[in-house]
Amino acid sequence: MKNSWEKLAKLDRRVIYFLLLLVVVVPIIFPFRLKPKAMPPVEKLFNHIDTIPDDKCLVISVDYTPDTEPELHPMAIALLRHAFAQRKKVGVLCISLLGLGLAQDALATVSEEFNSRAQTNADSIISGRDFVFWGWQTPPLVPILGMGENIAKVFPLDYYGNRTDTLPIMQKIKNYNDVAILVSIAGSAVPFWYITYAQTSFGVKIGAGSTAVQAADFYPYLNSGQVTGMMSGMKGGAEYEQLVEERLGVYGRRRATDAMSSQTAAHIWIMITIIIGNIGYFVMRRRKK
Amino acid sequence: MKIRLPLILVLVTGIVGALPFIIPHGIAQSFDNEFRNSILRIIAAFSLVLGVGSIVRHHTYKIKWKRENWQYSWILLISLVITSIIGLFGGIEGTGALPTSVRGFSFDIQTIFVYMAIPLGATMFAMLSFFMASAAYRAFRARNFEATLLLIAAFIMMLGSVPLSSYIFPRLPGFAEWILTVPNTAAKRGMGFGIALGSLATSLKIILGIERGWLGGTK
Amino acid sequence: MQITKQKINIKYLVVFMLLLNCCLVYGLEPPTKVVAKDAPNDAGGNIDIFWQLSVSDPTLEGYHILRRSEPEPEPVAVGFIGRGRNSFTDEGTTDGVKYSYQVIAVQESEEAASEWSNLVSSKPQWFHTGRINVIVFTFIFTFLIVFYINRAKRGANLFVRKIAGLLAVDEAIGRATEMGKPILYVPGLTGISDVATIAAMNILGEVAKKVATCDSQLIVPNTDPIVFTVAQEVVKEAYTQAGRPDAYKSDSVYFVTDSQFAYAAAVDGIMTRERPATNFFMGYFYAEALILAETGASTGAVQIAGTDSVMQLPFFIVACDYTLMGEELYAASAYLSREPLLLGGLIGQDWGKVVIVAVLILTSVIGLLTNLQVLKLF
Repeated sequence: MKNSWEKLAKLDRRVIYFLLLLVVVVPIIFPFRLKPKAMPPVEKLFNHIDTIPDDKCLVISVDYTPDTEPELHPMAIALLRHAFAQRKKVGVLCISLLGLGLAQDALATVSEEFNSRAQTNADSIISGRDFVFWGWQTPPLVPILGMGENIAKVFPLDYYGNRTDTLPIMQKIKNYNDVAILVSIAGSAVPFWYITYAQTSFGVKIGAGSTAVQAADFYPYLNSGQVTGMMSGMKGGAEYEQLVEERLGVYGRRRATDAMSSQTAAHIWIMITIIIGNIGYFVMRRRKK
Repeated sequence: MKIRLPLILVLVTGIVGALPFIIPHGIAQSFDNEFRNSILRIIAAFSLVLGVGSIVRHHTYKIKWKRENWQYSWILLISLVITSIIGLFGGIEGTGALPTSVRGFSFDIQTIFVYMAIPLGATMFAMLSFFMASAAYRAFRARNFEATLLLIAAFIMMLGSVPLSSYIFPRLPGFAEWILTVPNTAAKRGMGFGIALGSLATSLKIILGIERGWLGGTK
Repeated sequence: MQITKQKINIKYLVVFMLLLNCCLVYGLEPPTKVVAKDAPNDAGGNIDIFWQLSVSDPTLEGYHILRRSEPEPEPVAVGFIGRGRNSFTDEGTTDGVKYSYQVIAVQESEEAASEWSNLVSSKPQWFHTGRINVIVFTFIFTFLIVFYINRAKRGANLFVRKIAGLLAVDEAIGRATEMGKPILYVPGLTGISDVATIAAMNILGEVAKKVATCDSQLIVPNTDPIVFTVAQEVVKEAYTQAGRPDAYKSDSVYFVTDSQFAYAAAVDGIMTRERPATNFFMGYFYAEALILAETGASTGAVQIAGTDSVMQLPFFIVACDYTLMGEELYAASAYLSREPLLLGGLIGQDWGKVVIVAVLILTSVIGLLTNLQVLKLF
């Protein structure tokens, strides 16, 4: 008996890993959907984007990399769905080189969703008219600060090789003055750079999309109003997807919401392991006494 | 001179870099922009060459001296060369001079990125959840009052960050949000002050040439 | 209560009716008191225009802003702004040219123009008056640091509290030497412009000196090419200073990749293959922090971490033997080298913090007191 309590207190990490793998995989095979309820930071972001005036645009900075794609990509897709559904102008850029492919994928996915339903040219989502993909520029401070002066100068060509100053959408997007909100989605410190440099120097509103593990870092900025709204982790993405579907009636694949079942099961399993560990620990301690 | 020159450079660039913060005049701002846009970009480009040179040299040595697991170094070097050739001559989506598609099987940079880089990166990030589980199991023991408090907070956060909690305890997600917004923010701000002042002091010491550890601690 | 609300509503209704009446009887009213001023704290090229809202403001579409200048006497439209707004910044002026502005209230087909404003020209400023507070604090802080460095120079005895993580450095390096295993040093994932990376380089210099003295082996994989070149120089110089330039292997410091998780995979690989006896994680880390630290823990290495990334601190605390928290990372170089100049800077820094805390408490107390109702009696 002594041995089994000791085993409980010192479970082999491979056992923990294997069971965690099981609890993550099973809900993927047998999915169940939990309806997420939007928290205030997500709702604030949604409302701000919802009320962007016609003469301003939404800028999405795709600053995540392939490793955080499952957690952060649904956020970019949900934001694009929201903006395109309401015909808001969108500018997309990347601070990380590896974000280029992801941004292109998000734009292609969402514009395809809308274009497959479009009846006329006016209904379609067209690059250069409804959105502009500026691409990537380095080092990071160059686009972050340079966009406050002149966006077309920072990105002379868009991702597809067109001159940005000739694009119809760019006739109304000159610099941060024409940006209603810039949402930086990242698993790194890039949103902080936007807060430190772009907001402090040019006063542009900043939204953030972050991995769950990094979300707590943003709360001081959210409290001070330096971050207008934010989505944190898979849950944040799922909440935004819920708002887009519920309030705008825009339907599409909800990757973040679908993944919430696995995340829920994983959280519960981790809590169980902690409880098991503590039971073992207390029994062992009592016996030692 | 080997020591003095970098110190003079740091002093000058440190002061020149700080001045545009208080001088809004165009001369200061355009100099600052030029400094960041052109000079930093050139340095970054050259350093990348040094970096690639370093990794190539490291693995060439490994192969040359047949160090442990030297075979894997071949994989790295061959992948590096092939990816570079495809990227340089094949274009992003196979639009370059080099053909990057054989009978419908494409291997352009975008394909490599989507079907190799993304899944490999996501796999590494996914491992975090496994490590988190084992670390949480090991560390979250109610050894004393503080540890118990930490344990309770962790449970609230874990439950609060999944939609299930709003079905069981409707107020729990809001409470988890409160923990993040109030106590977490207060602690973070306190640490933030210390970190900001520490980094300001370190910057000052470097600009003034008092801290020289980054030069190898040369006196 | 209900009656009071109704009274207020009636009051608003009367005001609204009066306004509407004004508009209907007297037509559209123009904005008044249009004043133009050079925009402060900028690089020139901007003029701020202020005006008093038109009486008809609630019924307006907005305001057109016109400009004329000595070289261009014909009015030119420079912008349109919605109702309820009483200022506009003209961002397209030429410095030195005098401009005058007119604000036109617009209501469907009707327009009402204000009088032309004063003449004003834009010019760049040499000093940002809004940042005086930052300059003042920087001077106070610099003074404190220089003061304590001077004290240290004169030989004053400066007390620095013990930091367990740094006390363990010698022991950790000694253990690796005894076991004949290498020491792994990970200098964070940010560039050289990050203070955490510079602090990591400072500590690397001290660690490399000790490693050179013990004749142990050091591995420094890098994620930033510029940091890699700096790290290489730091280690080389440290070996020379320790009197062991021959023991330095240029191959021990190398660049891996700038991709976050590819780097984590590479470092995990080093830990599982080479089995270093001691791992140092110093600098700024992101989500890979736990991947690195937990892999290190599974190999049984002694782990010393230091980061100013507050979010990653809990992970390091859980998985490492010692953790330097926040500014302890910056202090580490002074602590390890025991150089009086650096220690003096450390004390100055602490006094700077005391000043900030004092100002915070004082302003908070004033803020709280001025909000108290009882103060309004005086």
